[in-house]
Amino acid sequence: MQITVNGRPAEIPDPLADDPLLWILRETLGLTGTKFGCGQGLCGACTVHMDGVAVRSCQVRTADAAGHEIATIEGLAAGDALHPLQQAWIAESVPQCGYCQAGQIMAAAALLRHTPQPDDAAIDAAMAGNLCRCGTYQRIRKAIHRAAGQQP
Amino acid sequence: MTASAMSRRRLLAHAARIAAGITVFAAAPACAFNPLPALPTRGMPPAEARIAWLRLLPDGRLQLLLPRQEMGQGISIGLRQIVAEELDCELERIEVVLPDTASIVPVKSTVGSDSMKDFAEPVARAAALLREHLKRGGADTEIHDQGQPVILRSLHGGEACRHVGKSRPTERIADIVTGKPLYAGDTQLPGMLFGLVLPAGAEPPEPVPGLRRVELSDGRRGLLSDHPGPLHAISLERPEAARAMPDLDIDAAMRRGRLEHRLRGDAVDTEAGWTLDRRYDTPFAAHAQIEPRSAVAQWHQRGADVQLEVWTGTQDAFFVRETLARQFGLSADRVLVHPCRIGGGFGARTIVRQELEAALLAEVAGRPVKVQWSRAAEFVNGFHRPPSSHRIRARLDGDGRITDWWHGFCSGHVIFTSAAMPPWMQMVTSLVKDPGVARGALPPYAAARMRVEFSDIRLPVDTGPWRGLGAGPNGFAIESAIDELAALAGQDPLQYRLANLDPQHERLKACLRRVADLAGWIRQPRMGGGFGRGVACGIYKESSFAAVIADIGIAADGAVNLRRMYCVQDSGLVINPDQVRAQIEGNLLWGAGMVLTERLPIEDGRVAAYTFADYPIPTIDAMPAIDIELIAPPGAAPAGAGETGMVAVAAVTNAIAAATGRRVSTLPYSPLSPT
Repeated sequence: MQITVNGRPAEIPDPLADDPLLWILRETLGLTGTKFGCGQGLCGACTVHMDGVAVRSCQVRTADAAGHEIATIEGLAAGDALHPLQQAWIAESVPQCGYCQAGQIMAAAALLRHTPQPDDAAIDAAMAGNLCRCGTYQRIRKAIHRAAGQQP
Repeated sequence: MTASAMSRRRLLAHAARIAAGITVFAAAPACAFNPLPALPTRGMPPAEARIAWLRLLPDGRLQLLLPRQEMGQGISIGLRQIVAEELDCELERIEVVLPDTASIVPVKSTVGSDSMKDFAEPVARAAALLREHLKRGGADTEIHDQGQPVILRSLHGGEACRHVGKSRPTERIADIVTGKPLYAGDTQLPGMLFGLVLPAGAEPPEPVPGLRRVELSDGRRGLLSDHPGPLHAISLERPEAARAMPDLDIDAAMRRGRLEHRLRGDAVDTEAGWTLDRRYDTPFAAHAQIEPRSAVAQWHQRGADVQLEVWTGTQDAFFVRETLARQFGLSADRVLVHPCRIGGGFGARTIVRQELEAALLAEVAGRPVKVQWSRAAEFVNGFHRPPSSHRIRARLDGDGRITDWWHGFCSGHVIFTSAAMPPWMQMVTSLVKDPGVARGALPPYAAARMRVEFSDIRLPVDTGPWRGLGAGPNGFAIESAIDELAALAGQDPLQYRLANLDPQHERLKACLRRVADLAGWIRQPRMGGGFGRGVACGIYKESSFAAVIADIGIAADGAVNLRRMYCVQDSGLVINPDQVRAQIEGNLLWGAGMVLTERLPIEDGRVAAYTFADYPIPTIDAMPAIDIELIAPPGAAPAGAGETGMVAVAAVTNAIAAATGRRVSTLPYSPLSPT
């Protein structure tokens, strides 16, 4: 079975076809930037893009990812040039422990794709499924505004 | 050429001359004596046990061996700023290493917001000694801190500082935003298997392809798999007999007789009438850090030499080492623990569980094994903030001053946690007051007579330290009562606090005055319009001070919306304002979470939460706009900053009372709950 992750094809052994995509990314492909937080699609730590849309990779059967473009946090930067959201995350000093932040950034990237100029309400609506226990939410809002070219 | 550039060049030149590099050794800071080390607070290590803090390598790189664990509190960047200040070099010159347990001597747990308070000075001294040594052109390869006088540039703050007092993002931020491996679960070893340990008494599930059942050397059973998918399909729910949950009812406890532990024992008149006589209750609460516990273990055997190597996110790598050494009959030097960045600590990483599970599984597997707890395991097998029950009675004189204050409360254990203690030790500790339960229980207010006492009660659900320990629950009770007393005295709650705080707490008063300015508090707004504004203040560990104002709205259905929160905090000298602000942002949201949602459900004496749906934590739409200001009197030493703001819980409940006229006496708040 073949899936495409960050533009590159990857062979996945057939017996793993039913496993959640999250574990294939982390343990078969070694892309550990995508985090496990709950396994139930309730925390957003495992957020990746499937054809540009944010999905919870713990809820995606690997076989169902075949034929789609999967993008993870490792593929967000263009070479050494960080994505504007990654730059904004640094400029606004968003992370504390950092564990949820890859999922937050991937959710934000999907948001900006369909809503390039989100207001706070749009940000809250799009990001409410991504939990952060450290309390970085205010900075997440500011960073998304900054990446969107708005006054943070 | 600037002076600092010259200094850098000199540093580099000296380093290159000394082939072996230079290591600076210093004694570990002393810490409070803990009579019963349920949680491993350590004393002073022996004099010969010196910690290598700093290493100047022959290639000119300077390593700071971090004597703390990093869980997002920003201690790595803070100590790095101190070293850079003392050496007058660029921050980038200093590389922070999370040392394994063979690289430094044992240091105490990373708990209690102690890191900057205890480690700023020794780290500054080590760096200053290195600076002076280099200036002299000394050729020693070892420098020992023996208390010799040395000028510290970093710990006075001020305009002259290049690094101290400046905001910098957390260590490894570029790796965080690009998804580089940093956490225990990111560890990958050749031939690694995945495993879980079944709860004692649990029947292994029906055979599943790819899952191997194993018997572990401690008598438990486990499952191994060559990929993690099947393990996450295993349910942890198990049929077990109900356990009796003792009633945590302070009134029943006080009727049964005297509470066991006295914090203040003045003779209050218990017979005369009270101005205020009020009950407050808080529930079980979970850490709910986003990274579930994870560890990787690998055994090495060469002939008779056996070594165990473990990767984990822990608040105490040496406690992990000692626990594993004891379990497997090894000497401590045969266990090597690699601490990883922690994906949320909050007190949850203070005992040893997943590390032992990984080591047991790896022992039978003969290969490295990764253990990754599920979210259900976090709730069911973790440990939690105990519930508490409070009765506060107070009497005022004609001017509204407190003449008598009587606070009795009971709580499950915090420091003497059953999660880390054998039953015999639990028996012994019922004679000793649990300092975690007591934290924050002495009010900062003046009262002619004060009686504060409590009982700790052994509960069948594992309990333990949770952000702020007793400070959140006690702060909720005390600051709610003070707010009510202000109303009963017909005074503005902020002015009432200023008038009744003990005169010694000038720093807390300064926080209150400043937060009033920041929020434009002249007097508390009158009730109505679905809007409420509340205030609360508190002191953490006698050294850190915070005042919080919360603005809330009440929706048509009675739900509470946080609109804005203001916090002024005085934690003494601030090394990195941005990181301290981040800690406060977390505290404000944790305080809000205590009010809005957080209650760990218990059924039949067991945790009945398995997902975040069973234990909702605040989401981004709950986050209000936040204004934070840091103040400190000149010359104040750095103090802990990560838990002071928990008193925000009472600013929110006091705002609800201001908006609705109904006092919140039970957490979390429900528009339907009785008052």
